[in-house]
Amino acid sequence: MALVIKGLSKTYPNGVRALDDLSLTVGNHLFGLLGPNGAGKSSLMRTIATLQDPDAGSIELDGLDVLANKNEVRKLLGYLPQEFGVYPKISALDLLDHLAVLKGVTARGERKEMVEALLHQTNLWEARKKALATYSGGMRQRFGIAQALLANPKLIIVDEPTAGLDPAERNRFLNLLAAIGRRVTVILSTHIVDDVRELCPRMAIIASGRVLLEGAPADALAALEGRIWSRVVASDAELEALKAELDVVSSHLVGGEHEVRVFAQGSPGAGFAPAPAGLEDVYFLELARHGRR
Amino acid sequence: MPQFLEFLRFELKLRAKSPSTYVYFLMWFAFSFFCVASESFGPVGNSNGKVLLNGPYANTLNFTLAGLFGVIVVAAIFGTSALRDFQRDTFQIVFTKPVGRLAYLGGRWTGSFITTVFAFSGLLAGTWLGTFAPWADRTRIGPNHLAFYLQPFLTITVVQIFYLGALFFAVAALTRRIVVVYVQGVALFMAYLVGLTAFSATRSLEHFWSGILDPVGLLMVDRVTRYWTVVERNARLLPLDLSGYSPGVFLYNRLLWLAVGVLALVVVVVRFPFSVEALAARTQGRRAARQRELDAAEGASRRDRPATLPEVHPVYGAATTLAQYRSLTRLRLRTILRDVPFWALVGLLVVFAINNGHFAGRVGGVNVWPVTYLMLSAVEGAAMLFFLIVAALYAAELLWRERDVRFDGIHDALPMPEWVDWSARFTAIVLVEAMLLAITLLVGVFMQALDGFHRFEIAHYLKELYLVAFPQVIGFALFAMFVQSLVSNKFVGHAIVIGVFVLQSVLFNFGWENTLYLPGAVPAFTYSDMNGYGHFVPALAGALVYWTAVFAFLGIVSIAYARRGPEESLAARTRAALARAPRLAPAAGACLAVAAGVGGWYYYNAHVLNEYLTANDRRRIAADYERAFKRYENLPQPKITAVDVSVDLDPPHRSFHGSGSFTLVNKADAPIAEIHLTDAHQTVSNVRFDRPARLVSRAARDIYSIYRLDTPLAPGESVRLRFDVAHVTRGFTDGQEPAEFAGNGTFFDMEWFPVIGYDANLEIDDPRRRREQGLGDLEDMAPRGDAVHSRINLFTTQSDWISYHTVVSTTTDQIPVAPGYPLRDWTANGRHYVEYGMGPTPILDFFAYLSARYAVKRATADGPEGPISLEVYYDPAHPYNVDEMLEASRDGLAYFQSVYSPYQFRQYRILEFPRYRTFAQSFPNTVPFSEGIGFITRLKDPKDVDLTYFVTAHELAHQWWAHQLVGGEVEGSNMMSETLAQYSAYELMQRKHGKDYMRRVLRHFLDRYLRGRAGEVRRERPLALVQREAYVWYEKGGQIMYTLADTIGVDRVNAALHDFLMQYRYANAQGTTEQPYPDTRQLEAALRAHTPPEYQYLIDDGFDRIVLYDNKALSAVAKRRADGKYVVTLEVQARKVQADGNGNERPMPLDDVIEIGVFKGAGDEEVPLDLHRERMTAEHATYTVVVDEKPTRAGIDPYNKLIDRIADDNVVDVTE
Repeated sequence: MALVIKGLSKTYPNGVRALDDLSLTVGNHLFGLLGPNGAGKSSLMRTIATLQDPDAGSIELDGLDVLANKNEVRKLLGYLPQEFGVYPKISALDLLDHLAVLKGVTARGERKEMVEALLHQTNLWEARKKALATYSGGMRQRFGIAQALLANPKLIIVDEPTAGLDPAERNRFLNLLAAIGRRVTVILSTHIVDDVRELCPRMAIIASGRVLLEGAPADALAALEGRIWSRVVASDAELEALKAELDVVSSHLVGGEHEVRVFAQGSPGAGFAPAPAGLEDVYFLELARHGRR
Repeated sequence: MPQFLEFLRFELKLRAKSPSTYVYFLMWFAFSFFCVASESFGPVGNSNGKVLLNGPYANTLNFTLAGLFGVIVVAAIFGTSALRDFQRDTFQIVFTKPVGRLAYLGGRWTGSFITTVFAFSGLLAGTWLGTFAPWADRTRIGPNHLAFYLQPFLTITVVQIFYLGALFFAVAALTRRIVVVYVQGVALFMAYLVGLTAFSATRSLEHFWSGILDPVGLLMVDRVTRYWTVVERNARLLPLDLSGYSPGVFLYNRLLWLAVGVLALVVVVVRFPFSVEALAARTQGRRAARQRELDAAEGASRRDRPATLPEVHPVYGAATTLAQYRSLTRLRLRTILRDVPFWALVGLLVVFAINNGHFAGRVGGVNVWPVTYLMLSAVEGAAMLFFLIVAALYAAELLWRERDVRFDGIHDALPMPEWVDWSARFTAIVLVEAMLLAITLLVGVFMQALDGFHRFEIAHYLKELYLVAFPQVIGFALFAMFVQSLVSNKFVGHAIVIGVFVLQSVLFNFGWENTLYLPGAVPAFTYSDMNGYGHFVPALAGALVYWTAVFAFLGIVSIAYARRGPEESLAARTRAALARAPRLAPAAGACLAVAAGVGGWYYYNAHVLNEYLTANDRRRIAADYERAFKRYENLPQPKITAVDVSVDLDPPHRSFHGSGSFTLVNKADAPIAEIHLTDAHQTVSNVRFDRPARLVSRAARDIYSIYRLDTPLAPGESVRLRFDVAHVTRGFTDGQEPAEFAGNGTFFDMEWFPVIGYDANLEIDDPRRRREQGLGDLEDMAPRGDAVHSRINLFTTQSDWISYHTVVSTTTDQIPVAPGYPLRDWTANGRHYVEYGMGPTPILDFFAYLSARYAVKRATADGPEGPISLEVYYDPAHPYNVDEMLEASRDGLAYFQSVYSPYQFRQYRILEFPRYRTFAQSFPNTVPFSEGIGFITRLKDPKDVDLTYFVTAHELAHQWWAHQLVGGEVEGSNMMSETLAQYSAYELMQRKHGKDYMRRVLRHFLDRYLRGRAGEVRRERPLALVQREAYVWYEKGGQIMYTLADTIGVDRVNAALHDFLMQYRYANAQGTTEQPYPDTRQLEAALRAHTPPEYQYLIDDGFDRIVLYDNKALSAVAKRRADGKYVVTLEVQARKVQADGNGNERPMPLDDVIEIGVFKGAGDEEVPLDLHRERMTAEHATYTVVVDEKPTRAGIDPYNKLIDRIADDNVVDVTE
């Protein structure tokens, strides 16, 4: 499977430019999509998931024109939207079964097997007969994951799937996704940089509807190697002063003091120590550069 | 106080920002505006043509009606206000602050109250502005008086807002459940409607408690104003004191409900739990238990499994599409069937249907057999609204489902075509509606069984519900789905759907009557047991198929516009729709082709084969006729003296062909050169005379033609008019089928034959419609003694008496009937012929033709020249009252012959005809009697007024009072037939059932008289001068005559009637010059001649004046004497007033003989111990009566023999 996105543009009626001549190529692997709120991630994913049409551009899935053959694409698709609700007064088991039928799993035995496997995988087995509407946020998110994986989709689009999951559940899900992602195309959007680092052979950072960076996380990290420096500063005034002078990537509070990370070719000054580059540095740096442009 | 003001200010601010406040205001504004600005909109405008549209009565009624629908508005405003802090979970913030209970509740409540009063003030503004509408009918708009606005608004609207607001607020605050808030207004509204229909169906005359207990006021207004005349309705407000005909009802009602409101406020202030702890407690109950279970499940053990999923093999194809459709349908069905409001609606439907079904066997206050068409109209009528509500509601719910629950992101990306998803939603609605229809059917059958009627016609139920109602409901659902697919908001969609639904009936009222453009309309149709759906089927089926096809097309558009994805702009959705269009085009094209084909066929029938005329067009034709030809009304014309017609009926084609001749004699004293013919139904052709004549003028639609005889017809000379006559039904009309022609049950009369001269019967009589057409007031009838009109027969202006001979044929399975004796009966050319002749007996020029598949039951009675043959021709399905009809005929013939004169015929026949018209009419020895009255009546309770017997007796009496004695075409003459027939029937009833029974009959008819005069559109006339006032010549006349006979003795009255009849019957039957017909002066004279002097005043008051009594028993005290007898001291009051034609009254001196009675037994079942008359000369009197047994009730005029608007207070309980 290969997904080729070319020149995608979308402007909403309220004037917001969600996609701006965006092009990407995604192969048979887990593809991470990073970006701040409002970057256009969800618009991009909805467009790939056949829910909305771009103003311009094309999407091809293994040579299949996605925009013209939506129903063909839907047969291959597993989609978890960023936000979703559920029907009241229906259990996870019943709704999954219903969705499996809609996804063409009409053989009763296969369907049962798949639905039960998913309920176990998402740890909803115990609560399978309970009304979905009474589920907690985390449980509901797990249900969303389960339905996206029904029917062995060849193209999986998951929009912030780990939001609301506790660390253990997040791990389980990422493992599952990694296992599946070896065979199919998975596009995963998140703002949790670690998700991408752990899982995705390739990634893209987008902002304002444009791709800022596309590549393998390892390549991006290699580019920063030896250029990230860190230092602890005590006061806000000091921090502001550094920000004015240097290319500050980020600052975190550590034990009440600011740990400042700076991008520089060489040591930016006294008190700075070299630090190993993380994917987060890549992300912040790209956004900061984009902001300056 | 400052806190209170703060809460008040906050509430008002919220309400001022809410669009709903202004929507409510506008709604009331529009309602009241149109009530005044249009005569075709409101309840007042549509009824009595003289009641002012901005008068006190109109305002009171309109505001009360607004109050009924306002129940839901009040519930919405007050309920949400009470609940606001709980819905938004802000109560934890509010109640942890030092807030006063009174300030909090009071502020909220007062704010809602002010808001609601503001919203309802739209009524005042709308009414007031309506009076300035330039197109409004000025004759029905009076000067604006502030009191006429403020009094009803304050006493009805504001009081209702107060107590309903208090009630709803209290319930909402104490239950704190949102469903209760939404349901309580609707529930009260529905409960009130159920109660109202239940109570109205009993036709109870009770007017005290029913008026006081009425929470909304419709019954109360009716109870208080029931007998108000036009003058009163235009000048009086509901009295807030103890005056009027229902003393104190309004005052007590208002006090009662104000008290309920105060009580509700006290309860809520005392009982409202004013602490967070009490309010937040939710540790118990099922919901909490379920939550604990779920928490346990969430924390359940997490066994790690290998991260793999099984392989499945999705397939897509027809089988999968079917599986998808079924799974989706199941899901949608479950959405509806698991919805609590749905079951609430089903429950209400069943309650309504049972309630209406319970009264299906009561029509116009009379018990009847609940035959299937009555039961169907009862249960279906109750349920139809629910079918439509469910269709509109769930069309919206199902279409918006994914968006409402935010499942659209997942749902929209599923691999199924839009039409599968759409079809599943549609199927769910169809299945649910089919279920509701089945429930309705079961309720109907159940209620029939409960009422002891066991002839279940399931096929009829299925046809009516599934072939007629179902397509309409499904069409409505498709329309709602279409609208909901296009709009961007569900509630906007609902507003549009309801708007279109309401608009339909409004448009119809305003003359937009075309079935082809009124969405979902079907032409009017009536089921008849005799004729089934009969000739209505093609038009009905055409309209149903046409609209179903149109709505199916809209359904397909709605598939094209199905939402998928977040795009909301119409442009984007239109692009998507166009992309889907090619696949949907064949189906859409097929729908359009069916709609065009069937619509074209319908159009061809209704507009090409038949002339399409709206109600207004028909009025215009009548108005044009009157304008053009009224000038010929008094033109001397020859009179018809003989009618000889042969008619071939063709019931299967609802047609007839015939030819005939009229013999015309010039009875005037000058030659007649022109003969004028009216042909209202375009049936006459090939007119020729037996002397040279030519057509000199004809009018549009051949409605009026003038022939000139080459040689004028000299006085006394006769001419024979020959003509062909035919009515051919071509195809069908748009709901304007003449009731006269039916496959089984033809019945048409002489109006379908040529009419000589101008026919005043065609004139419009509704004053409102006359004004619309620019016609003046209807011409008064001529005074008694008028030189021209005295010589004209009241009923048949074109003739005096005629000889009659006819041959009529029909299909062989039917019996053809016309007045007269069957002379010959044969079958030829596959047709059934009968020749009828009247012999030498002269009859009125009043004949009819009937044909149906009849069963016949015969009996005989004694006549002057041997036995009289009694026959009832009836539908085999209606055998119930045939024996009773024969009995009434036999009793009547015996009695009327003994007191009036010998019966002039040898036969008397009653014939059933379809219920397209509901009356009985007396032709010579032949009485067509509608299947809707009489043939299905049922005596369930010995107290019931025996209407079959009564109507049969009444129509029989017309054989004397009409067919022997007829008056001239002057004022008063109508009462000589109707009043005397009514009186004859009363006396016959009394002979059968006794005097006590008559009390119920009198009460029944007294109410009808008083309501009749309250609805008078011109002015009321005294009995002897009556013109067109049916309530005077039937109900009042009957009562006056009955009371006269009861007072002076029935033998005296009968002797007077005998004298009068023998002297004046068959006036103008002999000779060729016209003599005056009798009029009410001669009748009065005959009665006076037999009335003792002290009772002459009864004739003055009864015939020449409009007199009303106000009789009342004040107290009755009984004392037991030593000898065991009781002395009753009775204190009574009597007043008497004379009214003019508009209802203005002035007191009359009292010198009247009035009955005094003392009774034993319970109220309504009193048995007289003493009954005698006293002459009262003063308003108050005290009488002492000695009776043998212990008395329970006593009073003045206890049987309501005198006309009294407060009939109930004539008798009181006896105290000791």
